[in-house]
Amino acid sequence: MKRTFRFASAGGLLALAVSLALQPQTSQAREAQAILKETCMACHTPEGENALSRISHQRKTPEGWLMSIARMQTMHQLKISDEDRRTLVKYLADNQGLAPSETDGVRYALERRLNTVEQFDDQTKQMCGRCHSGARVALQRRPAQEWERLVNFHLGQWPSLEYQALSRDRDWFDLARKEMVPLLAKRYPLDSKAWADWQKSMPKAEALVGDWSFSGHLPGKGELNGVMKVTAAEGDHFTLSVDGQYVDGSPFKGQGTAILYSGYEWRGNVDIDGVKMRQVFAANGAQLKGRMFEAAHDERGLDFIAARQDHPQLLAVQPGYLKAGSETEVSLIGSGLNGTPSFGKGVEVVKVLEQSPQRVRVLLKAAADAPAGLREVSVGALKGQQLAVYRDIAEVKVVPAFSVARIGDNGGATPKVQGRFDAEAWGRSAEGKAYRIGVFPAQWKVEPFDDRAREDEDVKFAGSMQTDAGVFTPGDAGPNPERKMSTNNAGNLKVIAAVDDAGKAHTGEGHLIVTVQRWNNPPIP
Amino acid sequence: MKHLKPINNKALKLEQAADENRIEEVVAMNSVAGCASTTDPGWEIDAFGGVSSLCQPMESDLYGCSDPCWWPAQVPDMMSTYPDWNKDAQASNDNWRNLGTVFPEDK
Repeated sequence: MKRTFRFASAGGLLALAVSLALQPQTSQAREAQAILKETCMACHTPEGENALSRISHQRKTPEGWLMSIARMQTMHQLKISDEDRRTLVKYLADNQGLAPSETDGVRYALERRLNTVEQFDDQTKQMCGRCHSGARVALQRRPAQEWERLVNFHLGQWPSLEYQALSRDRDWFDLARKEMVPLLAKRYPLDSKAWADWQKSMPKAEALVGDWSFSGHLPGKGELNGVMKVTAAEGDHFTLSVDGQYVDGSPFKGQGTAILYSGYEWRGNVDIDGVKMRQVFAANGAQLKGRMFEAAHDERGLDFIAARQDHPQLLAVQPGYLKAGSETEVSLIGSGLNGTPSFGKGVEVVKVLEQSPQRVRVLLKAAADAPAGLREVSVGALKGQQLAVYRDIAEVKVVPAFSVARIGDNGGATPKVQGRFDAEAWGRSAEGKAYRIGVFPAQWKVEPFDDRAREDEDVKFAGSMQTDAGVFTPGDAGPNPERKMSTNNAGNLKVIAAVDDAGKAHTGEGHLIVTVQRWNNPPIP
Repeated sequence: MKHLKPINNKALKLEQAADENRIEEVVAMNSVAGCASTTDPGWEIDAFGGVSSLCQPMESDLYGCSDPCWWPAQVPDMMSTYPDWNKDAQASNDNWRNLGTVFPEDK
């Protein structure tokens, strides 16, 4: 791949530009070049060396490029077929994408973990994160001139932003141009060593073909494991076959397809038992890691990790805990599992119930005096996972501690967004150190968060919590004539989980906001 | 606030919170990915970290939000981007079901 630079003078600054001058190597690349020329060049100005104004000066994730093209459709009446759009996203993400390290810490936005409380500096939160996620910004790379154009675009497109709280109390435009632009250009520059290095070492998609042993966890449902077979299709595409099961024995099976962007951004669409699910994983030759969620309900999703079967790894211990003085069945999930597992002092393998390279199921017994705490698990030479031995539960935490559900359905365009919770038990080791035991079954309920919520009867109207699983289904969208001022079925609730430990109940609390729908719902929030 | 007097309970609560310097704390708490943290009055969460001081019901003032791009990341703005968003829902309280989502998904 040929990469050229040119220098453009911009207000005394030298702006670095990455050109789109790429020698077409595949039919798809030629097609993308043709689309850029025939469709995008209607507005974007050629800049020599096959570069185009604006487009050639940015790097983004596949979702970022998709949103940019979608913006051209909604704001500038671009007409483009879905197929051409897919081709462009693939081409741009491959040639002007982000290196894996450049997405560190913000993959939650791609993975649609929408209850993440973002951690940005105050200025970024107030200037950018007050309307959309900070991650949307952190997943782009631009030179200063392009960041400045983005500021100008925001003010031109949404002029009232200067009148909103966190703008009208300051000189927003001046701060945006003079403080945010240099900060963003420094923090998220177009040109980076990480991307230059990644372009040289980017693995081929074929490296991901094979059988993958996977482990997952779906809040409100439990752990699962299985095998995903990946076969190659044309142009960095794959076909998939998923064959797994939850710990309760219910199946997790399906077929689908996937595509690899930028050498590591795996995006799959799989039909699991009649439900369309999307995979957003970061791939390397040995591991796939990310989240798999329902396409129409991204709140219903599982943490997913997979190991290629020719790269021996220990991925998970299911369940990852055992009570001192008791016996329980535990499965080890991974690839190339071989040999007798060991669980450390005071934990005995009573019987190996099943053994394959992907899964070892054992009956374990913990001595009554086994020390409480975390211990390393090993199978042969493989390590990297832990088992928690506990005597008593010290604390129960509701996870996520703070979350947002949304009313929906009732004939409207937006589905209800459920709340999905786990009850996480924590113990205290002999040394007095807090340690995570794991996710426990619990009894669930909601209560008013404060007096105002009690007065407004939020518990009655905002939705219902399943008693035996942490699944909260919000109320219907629309004004509710039964409520004061016909208000919506919004609510401010405490989520309470009660875990039973040998007859002793431990409760934990979380905070759930049930709020109104959103109609603008792009891939990056 | 010397020259302004709250005329309803919501305004009174807001004035009290401002006097007690509690509003900034709430703003800091509300940085959940993709939720608006501007609380005037707020889209998902109000200035008190709850929902009772949001527009009630939201549909009563929805076009007061969409017309001037008030929550453009959540509500399609009708000033610049989606001028026809409510063409089939002139009365938001009655026709809100006709309001569609706006991201152009693959078909």
